[in-house]
Amino acid sequence: MSHHPVIHLEDICKTFSLAGQPVEVLKGISLQIDPGEFIALLGTSGSGKSTLMHILGLLDRPTTGRYNLAGQDVSQLPDERLSELRNSMVGFIFQSFYLIPYVSARENVMLPGLYSSTPGRVLKARAEELLTLVGLADRMDFKPGQLSGGQQQRVAIARALVNDPQVLLADEPTGQLDSKTSGEILDLLSDIHRQGRTVILVTHDLATANYAGRKIFLDDGRIKNS
Amino acid sequence: MVASKTVDLVRLSWRILHMALTAVWAHRLRSCFVILGVALGIASLTIIVAAVDGAERKAYEIVDSFGPDAVFILGGDIRNRAVGQRTNTLSYADAEVLRQSLPGAYRVVPMRAQHNLPVRFENNKMQVSAIVGATAGYADVWNWPLSEGRDFSEEDIQRGAKVCLIGDTPANELFGDRSPVGRTIYIEKLPVQVIGRLSYRGFSGGGGSIDERIILPITTLTQRFNLDRKYFRALRVKFTSTENMDFHVENLTSLLRKQHNLAEGQPDDFSILTADEILGFLSMFKGGLLLFLGITAAVAIVVGGFVLANLFYLSVDERKSEIGLKKALGAKNSAILLQVLAEAVILTLIGSLFGMAIGMGMAQLLERLGILEILFSWKVFTYSTLSSVAIGILFGLRPARKAAAMVPIEVLKG
Repeated sequence: MSHHPVIHLEDICKTFSLAGQPVEVLKGISLQIDPGEFIALLGTSGSGKSTLMHILGLLDRPTTGRYNLAGQDVSQLPDERLSELRNSMVGFIFQSFYLIPYVSARENVMLPGLYSSTPGRVLKARAEELLTLVGLADRMDFKPGQLSGGQQQRVAIARALVNDPQVLLADEPTGQLDSKTSGEILDLLSDIHRQGRTVILVTHDLATANYAGRKIFLDDGRIKNS
Repeated sequence: MVASKTVDLVRLSWRILHMALTAVWAHRLRSCFVILGVALGIASLTIIVAAVDGAERKAYEIVDSFGPDAVFILGGDIRNRAVGQRTNTLSYADAEVLRQSLPGAYRVVPMRAQHNLPVRFENNKMQVSAIVGATAGYADVWNWPLSEGRDFSEEDIQRGAKVCLIGDTPANELFGDRSPVGRTIYIEKLPVQVIGRLSYRGFSGGGGSIDERIILPITTLTQRFNLDRKYFRALRVKFTSTENMDFHVENLTSLLRKQHNLAEGQPDDFSILTADEILGFLSMFKGGLLLFLGITAAVAIVVGGFVLANLFYLSVDERKSEIGLKKALGAKNSAILLQVLAEAVILTLIGSLFGMAIGMGMAQLLERLGILEILFSWKVFTYSTLSSVAIGILFGLRPARKAAAMVPIEVLKG
């Protein structure tokens, strides 16, 4: 398995229609990512990196081109299948954390598992293990509002790992954090990468991207060779 | 494979229900409004079902106490009363003729009453709504057993004795826990000895409780309270068997027409009521009640449904990012749809419990005021529960669909 890329994009194009006019956002992206890589996806706003991230995260489909995820063609799957694959294969980390405000850290971490077939007891144990891993062993029963921004993002990272996904997709994970906390979060992502997971970090900031092993620059819907 | 899929489905449903309960609790204020909106609708439904059932039971009770073997004759034609027609048409002579020559009749009882007279026992005073005149055997004629004491004898009637039977309401008010039998009460200034007490009957016969009455020998009532000595309002005839009631009524009609010297083609100057007719009237009343209250309840329930729909639209909007997040993390559209519907049904079910409680409370009040007779049953519970689930699904469906159709990338921005 490990000789095969976990992600293989072939000539991905994405066209939106804006006020009746077609706008080509991605113009033929081809890309391979091997298992265990730490990738930074860089680009200014309007470069198409958000769209590419949505396609990589199975939140959107390419207009044309092929997308192989762990050996399976996922370019044009129906919504229901995409939901299942997002649940089992992809872990999401968002800039604004997106925790459910009225349930505890533990229950937030368990959330993706609730839509999987993992039994409840296993799920709870796994959530607690992950919260301990991200350094929040003593905060499991806290609600998001009782946690600092950095702590909230740690909860979100634990949540992204709960279904043991192949790929971790982090969209500007430090965008709302101060530089010290940002460093801590990026160190945590590096730790997770070292434990053998594929991490894709989407950012516009070069300093952040330096944590990654490989940088991919996106400009005007195309990959720029660095 | 199939078994494990079923297990997965049950587990997912259970988890969705748990999430729905958590969300309902987390948004308590919104939940309260929905519960309240639904509760009012269900409360009216509860009252209606209870009232209609109660009305039906009451109808049968009235007919039961009226007796299927009896008819009621009123002076004047109540169905199409001619202008200026006399209602004082039933006389003692009529009663006597019926008693002697109507086949199958074993009791003919003239009825006469006074209303709202002051009654006093020692220092307890009250206004009694009905002072009724009667002949011997009142309890038997009206199927109304005595709880203590004795009934009037023929001698009491002939003498115009100063004795009475007392209804349950005045007995309680004037005597409390003591036995009224053998005591002397004053009706206006007339001293009367209580010889018997009527058992509690407990339904209202339109305007005051039927238990609020005192019975005097008709002779006593006529002499002491200066009533018309020749005519009376009504006459009750009891037959030996319930068979051939139509035949009895026909006999009675021709006998009275002859007695009143009515020519062929002239209308009756009296009206005969049978148990069947009373039942018919009561079922008409019930139909009217059902229609009127049914419309009220339907409106109330629809209003509750709109409250729910509106608040859920707002809620789905407010929780956009939560819904988008869940979809991004792998919740299928059906899971989101089910959660919103579950939230709606949980709230309408709680609303229906509250509604039933409110409804029963109001019904008790109405019953105590003597406006309605209420009957509670599993029917009330079943109707309320089913209709609340229906409201939840019906009015929750559009907001739930809206939630399920949200696109994560449009909702999760920044």
